[in-house]
Amino acid sequence: MSEASTTKAPNPLLRFVSSPAGRAFLALLLVGLVGTIFNADGAFFKIGTHRDALRQASVYGILACGCTLVIITAGIDLAVGSVLALVAVCCSKMAIHWGWSGWLVVPACLLVGCATGGLAGVVTARLRVQPFIATLALMVLARGAAKYASGGMKVSTAVKNASGGYDYVDVPTLFRLVDTRILGGHLSVVTVIFLVCLGLAWLALARHSWGRHLYAIGGNEEAARLSGVSVVWAKILAYVASGLLAAVAGICQAAQEQQGDPEAGVGYELIAIAMVVIGGTSLMGGRGGMGLTLLGVLTIGYLDKILSINAVPEAGRLMLTGIIIVTAVLTQQRKRT
Amino acid sequence: MKSNTNCVLTLLGLGLIATLWSGCSDSTKTTGNAAKSDSAARTYTIGMSQCNLGEPWRVQMNEDIRNAAAKHANLKVVFKDAQNDTLKQRAHVEEFVSSKVDLLIISPKEAQPLTEPVARAMAAGIPVIVLDRRLLGDQYTCFIGADNKKIGKAAGEWIVKTLGGQGNVVELMGLQTSTPGQDRHSGFMEGIAGSNLKIIFSADMKWLEPDARKEMESALSRFDKIDLVYAHNDPGAHGAYLAAQAAGRTGIKFVGIDALPQEGVAYVSQGILNATFQYPTGGAEAIDTALKILHGETVPKEIVLGTRLFDKANVAQGGQELN
Repeated sequence: MSEASTTKAPNPLLRFVSSPAGRAFLALLLVGLVGTIFNADGAFFKIGTHRDALRQASVYGILACGCTLVIITAGIDLAVGSVLALVAVCCSKMAIHWGWSGWLVVPACLLVGCATGGLAGVVTARLRVQPFIATLALMVLARGAAKYASGGMKVSTAVKNASGGYDYVDVPTLFRLVDTRILGGHLSVVTVIFLVCLGLAWLALARHSWGRHLYAIGGNEEAARLSGVSVVWAKILAYVASGLLAAVAGICQAAQEQQGDPEAGVGYELIAIAMVVIGGTSLMGGRGGMGLTLLGVLTIGYLDKILSINAVPEAGRLMLTGIIIVTAVLTQQRKRT
Repeated sequence: MKSNTNCVLTLLGLGLIATLWSGCSDSTKTTGNAAKSDSAARTYTIGMSQCNLGEPWRVQMNEDIRNAAAKHANLKVVFKDAQNDTLKQRAHVEEFVSSKVDLLIISPKEAQPLTEPVARAMAAGIPVIVLDRRLLGDQYTCFIGADNKKIGKAAGEWIVKTLGGQGNVVELMGLQTSTPGQDRHSGFMEGIAGSNLKIIFSADMKWLEPDARKEMESALSRFDKIDLVYAHNDPGAHGAYLAAQAAGRTGIKFVGIDALPQEGVAYVSQGILNATFQYPTGGAEAIDTALKILHGETVPKEIVLGTRLFDKANVAQGGQELN
């Protein structure tokens, strides 16, 4: 690839456009263009619209960061939506009902996420169950655990007391802190959390030896093993990271809803995976990156927002989203041949 | 096994009646007493087939049934949850029939596939109470349910009254491919007909709070003056409230539907919603009706439940009955 570019030295713009990042950027640009045309009486040009689009995309984005790590190893994590719900329930239970401090709630929640991720990792990497099956099982298991922990009801600020009535407690400080804005109200804290997660995941993937191992495993697992990569540990860690990020997303979800809903996050795993794939990370493993995932997150997030401000009916939204996903992935694939 | 026990119980009861009859002078009174003690001694098993316990409203329905049945020592209710799976629910109905429950309560997921299994239960001599969603035909004993259209209309009329007949309204709709979503919309339109209310923004939030929040954010960025948000369920209204809070917009009223104790009613008590309209589960009414059926009384074929309005003024007193 680099040889070809040095011998031919084509137009740098053309080179950028034919790279995965360039293609993903084009998709985002296209969505931006659609927004400029269908701007809903100028609503698209308001700063608040962009802040809200980013806030809305942040929870999906955090999940997508974790999925990127797993997908690069040629794996998949279907459990993130359910883990999000489980953590949202646990978080609300601890913060609202038990009145724990945020310093205790956050580590406990992250631990829950790591544990579920670790479980998926061990079953996949050590026991050699296909990632699709292992995380599918975990998806069902975590959803069940969320329902069990919550008793089937949303864990809200209305707490049942002994006499069968309800006491109302204040929304915990942790939730208020996460669901607020900074920079004069122009940036949601959940978006900051997403960007921090993205940055850390990027560091791990692009700058740390573990990240290189993940690419090696995704490219050719056997070759990676023979060249001395401890495949099992690297893979387990990828799933743990995915679980950890799902837990972060779960805390954000609970804070934004001010409650723990055991039914939260249904279908979120598919949106997260779609974001990763639209960015250009290959489901076959070995190729991709966090920067691409950011582009994918922005593309889907903005598409969603544009459809929403224009009050497009549900049927049209679903069909348009489907068409955009297929188109984006098709342009990505042309590069491979 | 079970029919054997029934036989023994009946024989014992008859024996008791005979003894009392011979021993007492006031025969009519004692027969009455004996019959009463007989029906009290008899334990009835009620099968309850719930279509999906994933929804808090349905959890509440089961809770209402459980609480109502707990007041009667001779009632035993067996609950089954079909987890939103039609065929699983069909299997549950068949299991209840083969275990010969005394009465079946079903809140069906869908009409068509469950009509026949219920008809077979009726043919096997088991009375059936259908809760909330309807079946096809008339092969059931009694239908108990609320009317979403009426509730939507009541909400519309309340909104017209509260806003003085004019203002900008945002409607956050429940899943528009579902009947409750359609009815809560069409009833609302009926309720506000003839007023000067303008629906400036409407979106399908699919009953989901995060979606409601997202749609409300879009409405807020498009319109500077919103007077009221009508959401088809309380979580939707709550999501819209959070969006308005975050945007620092005040003076907007929020109205929801369902009024579950830990959701809508709690939100009204906390001053988050201005009003919510109850969509009753019918759980308590189902047990009342079940007892009447089991005691051989005739019950109406259809019971339509009324709604209750909960607002700031009446929430502490348990709401106000509307017709």
